[in-house]
Amino acid sequence: MVDVGEITTLLTDIVGPDRVTDRDFDLIPYSRDLSPAKQKLPSHVVMPETREEIQSILQIANDIDVPVYVRGGGTSHWDAFLPQVAGPSIMLDLGRMNKVLDINERDLVVTVQPNCTWAKLDHALRNRGLTYLCSEAGGPAMTVGGSVMKAGGGPHSTAKFGFHGNQDVITLEMVLPNGDIVETGSAAWPSAGKFERQCLGPDLAGMFIGAEGILGICTELTLRIRPAVDISERMTAILPKLDDVIEFGHFINRHVGDEFLQGIYLWVDPTAPDVFFLMMDIFGYEDKIIAHRKKLIVDKIKELGGEIGDRAPADDYYGRILTGLTDLFKAGVWHFFGSGSLRIDDIPFLYKVWKEEVIEKRGYTKAGFGGQVLPRRWLAFMVTNYKEPEEWNELVKMCDEIDEIVLNGPVVPYGIGGRDGLRQFVAARDTGYYRLLKTLKRTLDPKNILQRGIFIPEEEF
Amino acid sequence: MRIEEYKDMIYACGRCNLCHGTDFDERCPELFTQYWESSTLRGRIAIARGILEGKLDYSEQMAERIFGCFMCGRCQEECKKAADISTVEITKAMRADFVDRGIKIPEAGSKMVDTVLESGNIFADSPAVHAKWAEDLEFKRDAKTLFYPGCLASHRFKEKTRILVETMQAAGYELNFLGDKQRCCGTPYWITGRVSAAKDTAKTFVNMLVEMGIDEVITPCPSCFRALDEEYPKLLGTEMPFRVRHTSEILRDIVEKKKLKFRVSIDKKVTYHDPCEIGRLREIYDPARKVLGALPGVELIEMKRNREEAFCCGGGGGVKIMYEDHSNKVAKERIGDFIETNADLLTTICPACEMNLTHGTYAANIEARVIDVAELVAVAAGIVDKEILETDYFPDD
Ligand SMILES: Cc1cc2nc3c(=O)[nH]c(=O)nc-3n(C[C@H](O)[C@H](O)[C@H](O)COP(=O)(O)OP(=O)(O)OC[C@H]3O[C@@H](n4cnc5c(N)ncnc54)[C@H](O)[C@@H]3O)c2cc1C
Ligand code: SF4
Ligand code: SF4
Repeated sequence: MVDVGEITTLLTDIVGPDRVTDRDFDLIPYSRDLSPAKQKLPSHVVMPETREEIQSILQIANDIDVPVYVRGGGTSHWDAFLPQVAGPSIMLDLGRMNKVLDINERDLVVTVQPNCTWAKLDHALRNRGLTYLCSEAGGPAMTVGGSVMKAGGGPHSTAKFGFHGNQDVITLEMVLPNGDIVETGSAAWPSAGKFERQCLGPDLAGMFIGAEGILGICTELTLRIRPAVDISERMTAILPKLDDVIEFGHFINRHVGDEFLQGIYLWVDPTAPDVFFLMMDIFGYEDKIIAHRKKLIVDKIKELGGEIGDRAPADDYYGRILTGLTDLFKAGVWHFFGSGSLRIDDIPFLYKVWKEEVIEKRGYTKAGFGGQVLPRRWLAFMVTNYKEPEEWNELVKMCDEIDEIVLNGPVVPYGIGGRDGLRQFVAARDTGYYRLLKTLKRTLDPKNILQRGIFIPEEEF
Repeated sequence: MRIEEYKDMIYACGRCNLCHGTDFDERCPELFTQYWESSTLRGRIAIARGILEGKLDYSEQMAERIFGCFMCGRCQEECKKAADISTVEITKAMRADFVDRGIKIPEAGSKMVDTVLESGNIFADSPAVHAKWAEDLEFKRDAKTLFYPGCLASHRFKEKTRILVETMQAAGYELNFLGDKQRCCGTPYWITGRVSAAKDTAKTFVNMLVEMGIDEVITPCPSCFRALDEEYPKLLGTEMPFRVRHTSEILRDIVEKKKLKFRVSIDKKVTYHDPCEIGRLREIYDPARKVLGALPGVELIEMKRNREEAFCCGGGGGVKIMYEDHSNKVAKERIGDFIETNADLLTTICPACEMNLTHGTYAANIEARVIDVAELVAVAAGIVDKEILETDYFPDD
């Protein structure tokens, strides 16, 4: 096996000495993510600047059989970029591939490098009266590449836009594990441009979206953009029963299709498990459309016996999606568990697990319950603040038990990740989908170089 | 280890990366110069935690990451939303751990400390040279308000310091001055981890002022201001028997209480650079802006990064001395913000920022003067001639 010094030399030959490090103090900052996943260190971190450098790194990694891991903003929470293997591994920090490459106002598409943050993109677009409307609430450092590669979704991915990747990703440029560079959609046709997702055979972009980097490294993305809306109309409401929330979710989805709201966020605090607090961000390009939608919402809330509340919390919440939510770790660091996608009518299942298994049976009263109503589904979760190191192991144990219960129900896991993520649950269900994914992985990455152990355990490969 | 004192803070980091910002290098000047995650707050916390857990140890190679922090507080401003971690305190503790453990710190940092220990100031001036700027000025030996310029304002910016004192005196302030007795406030000690020297300095300094019957200290230097107002009480474990004010507040008082009449129109577009140490670290953003807003013929244009979001001038944390190239790179970047405003003058209210931004103009290859807010006040009040604002003006010093 090659030693650390040799790997450093090989990487230095590609990117020069300033963008490779193997020093312990430089590596340790790359050893955790947002989750309780245990610390895992790469032996090298490299900061590539071009697709060709990434290509060369992957070729060398294949030659010397050293796995490569990819990190965007490093704000995800599924153990989805931490090295899963003992021995040398190379972490790519894509921080320097962060440019907005082209804003095409005529075609309403934007092309960015993967580590362009949503916040940076939003700023550049809004200067021209345009927007993307990032869905996740990860704050200033989350990147477009990281979000799309994990098929992110959050408080703004609700009714109108769906998850990143639903329709908004137009084309991708990917470096495959063997170093080949491919483009998807209309960009795949050498003499065309970047304007359409599905126009040449199967939708290969879809194969990479949500693959958490195991099938390729994204080096460029073209996304659909739209005119920015200056008008903001946000609301809060409290509904008396979860069934009312469900009815409200259906009402929103049916009423004007997927266009009604750009966010409905449900929050149930563990101190008041029967109070269903909703925050909403109404969508519309014109005042009168917004006013009309608002009236319908207010009427419906009232019909369901709910109360309209102060809009300030909704303004604060939605206003901070890209700048950073507040008081994040006041009561301890974060863990999201018992989470996933499920049908609108199935939310009582998850709520029941939270209330009965977490609060009542285990007496754990620090985790809240929340979720976003999306078209035809929920993205729901339980979230807690806990103290490291003292509460760490106990908490993880409890969350694993809850995940087991939840994923045996009508819930599809959201975010798979590595050993300390949800990959064990996927591997345990030997589905045709999973077998196909493994076949794809083996075909594209016969030496299991890229993101080894993420999504697919090494022994399953 | 001194970082143990900050254990709770270190374990409170939830790795959200708010401190990092929207671009890999748009907030943190250390990241801007050193690239690696280990050069900014989330990374530093991971290092500190690694050290606490025995997985990592301080080393000479690590020094650039810890001593290359500008202590500008930009990251901690963001972290207020997340875990309210103080980078400045943790970085200071880490630097002190280097010294306590006998690990080599950047040589220029050690030399700076030796110079201060030997000469009493960072420039190795003799006391007479150090106080030369005040030659023609009259101070009141029995006044209870001490004007304490600090090393930079004494050595580098003699004319600016003179103008400041003349302005305050014209506004009716009766000022005392230490003259040959003036010594460095001690900031070089704690930014290089020399805690015991810092303690000795604080003790001697406070005793001297008590003996003189001083009840207020006014200083133009944000580092001296924080030294006397924040560090001394921490080092000595007691409240100071005097009040400490930065000149930004004095100038605001002059304007608000109409202690001077402003007859001369400045006729310039002006931008203002927030010094980190009074801005983010003390939330003093408005006084200088109030002053600028009150001066005739001043059009204030904000830089895109201003107030809490201001980018450092490159002069903080001792980086100017220890890693001059990093410092100049940051200064040049900040000058880029100034150029974007199309303002005629770059103003600020900190001698270190003034020096570093002036160096930034050289690095950016532009001709521009960096003006202290007090100089604008003096021009508007007719205390000095308007020519000092012109690009081709060369001060005596
Ligand atoms: C305050 C806060 C709120 C959050 N809210 C939400 C939320 O509402 N919804 C949500 O889903 N998440 C949320 N998150 C988690 C996180 O912000 C998101 O997961 C975000 O999308 C991650 O982006 P990133 O750039 O940090 O990606 P990373 O964490 O760096 O990477 C994510 C995944 O993508 C892979 N990857 C990264 N870049 C590439 C690339 N160029 N090519 C191939 N693979 C790549 C990584 O290997 C990893 O598997 C939140 C986090 C915080 C701190
Ligand atoms: S903002 Fe604070 S809590 Fe978040 S990563 Fe940075 S240091 Fe940690
Ligand atoms: S204090 Fe300033 S230089 Fe130091 S890590 Fe924070 S932002 Fe960077």
